[in-house]
Amino acid sequence: MSTSWFPEPDNSNLPYFDGARSGKLRLQRCDDCGNWMFPVRSRCQSCGSTQIKWADASGRGTVYTHALLRREYHPRHAGRLPVIMAQVDLEEGVRVNTNLVDVEPGAVKAGMKVTVAFEHSPVGEAVVVFRPA
Amino acid sequence: MSHPMNSAAAICGLGVTAMGRVYREAEDLAAEAVYLAIEDAGLKKSDVDGLLINAGVGNAVSIPLHISLGLQELNLLTFMQGYGSSAGQMIQYAAMAVANGLANNVVCVFADAPLQEGQRTGAAYAGGGRRNAMGSLYPLYGFAGALPMYALAAQRHMDLYGTTQDHFAQIAIGQRQWAAMNPAATKREPLDLAGYNASPWVVEPFHVLDCCLVSNGGVAVIVTSAERARDMKQPPVYIRGFAQAHGHDAGMANKDPAIHTPAARSAPRALAMADAKLADITQCQIYDCYTYTVIATLEDYGFCRKGEGGAFVADGKLGPGGGLPTNTGGGELSSYYMWGMTPVAEAVIQGRGQGGARQAKNDLILVSGNGGVLNYHATLVLAPEAA
Repeated sequence: MSTSWFPEPDNSNLPYFDGARSGKLRLQRCDDCGNWMFPVRSRCQSCGSTQIKWADASGRGTVYTHALLRREYHPRHAGRLPVIMAQVDLEEGVRVNTNLVDVEPGAVKAGMKVTVAFEHSPVGEAVVVFRPA
Repeated sequence: MSHPMNSAAAICGLGVTAMGRVYREAEDLAAEAVYLAIEDAGLKKSDVDGLLINAGVGNAVSIPLHISLGLQELNLLTFMQGYGSSAGQMIQYAAMAVANGLANNVVCVFADAPLQEGQRTGAAYAGGGRRNAMGSLYPLYGFAGALPMYALAAQRHMDLYGTTQDHFAQIAIGQRQWAAMNPAATKREPLDLAGYNASPWVVEPFHVLDCCLVSNGGVAVIVTSAERARDMKQPPVYIRGFAQAHGHDAGMANKDPAIHTPAARSAPRALAMADAKLADITQCQIYDCYTYTVIATLEDYGFCRKGEGGAFVADGKLGPGGGLPTNTGGGELSSYYMWGMTPVAEAVIQGRGQGGARQAKNDLILVSGNGGVLNYHATLVLAPEAA
């Protein structure tokens, strides 16, 4: 895949991108109440604590909903439409916006079990996606 | 005993500019809408002592509008933002202000000019504000603006309840039939199921025709006390009840925001203030940024059970001649998109009995405003008679 469009991480989100490069789904977790969060927060949405740590998530989840992108909005979509957009509910209680791969669009249903996967570029960048479990 | 705000205030003026590819500054469109509303109400500019301002996606109208308008002695002035719920919110705050003596005649105005010459319609709302790496992930996955989020919500409704593409089509077709009778509507050519199905996909399950228009324009309404409204130029449209409900469950896996919207908490309180039941409602003006929004809102308002909205609209009851006339001007899908001012403006026209060929039974009009992705909600209950 082309990588000129790949996001440039900063200190606040580097663990997420480094995790993806090494094949891990890494998310923020409140050290005080255990609440998992996505995307990046500086304060726990549940208890208000600022003691936020990065931790490896299970990568297991369920499709909350899905849709089929039929128009290119981004260079990554070139030559690969339709893209299956999805919101996936992780076991950790977090809902993430992502894409589904390795599945026919017609076979996707809300409630389907999925697991994390990574699209690696030749230079090591990785996009977090999900495929059927 | 009835609620003190039931029929305490009324809408006495309406100003609607030309709509669509009107290449003018949003602030100028806002100013024109205000002058049109003042003239419509039979007021003088000096009678206006309150101004509430809301800007659309272009975010180009704010407090300085009062300087452009030469309104230098105001008792009430603010800029507000509640996205698609803003219009309903402004009218609610204006009603409370006039009922409690803070001001006499409050103008509520919305204007936007997202369309630029030579630019495609969809580009105006594709969104591009996010800057950091996490934010950059969204467009990479296809999450650009509100449209994909509503498509995802609609698909969940289909997966859970068997709602079909034909149900969404029914909304678009019914509203186009209304629009054909509205000289001010942008899209008036007939639409049938084949035409709907031939409309290109954007994010499936949404065709282009499941999505609202994008419009440049401005709308203003004037809220005054019920007592003053009775002696004014236009038939008063009384504000019988109102409420709001807001929430944002994004990112929380234990919530179901695609299906259960804040509309469910807003409508019962608005109806209670109006001392009315849902069965008393004779027409609806429902915020219809997408076809699915109408189904979700009608369900949450209680017109049918959750999940049955598709079947509820399938017989055409929302269209001309149907049992629940809804979005009688064509709505945001077919008339013009001025956020929450689209349903409000049509409700005022209908409440006055000025709907012409499309006039529907107007005893009690339910109006919704919806912002974000089914997150921010305002409800109004309007009527030509006071309680």
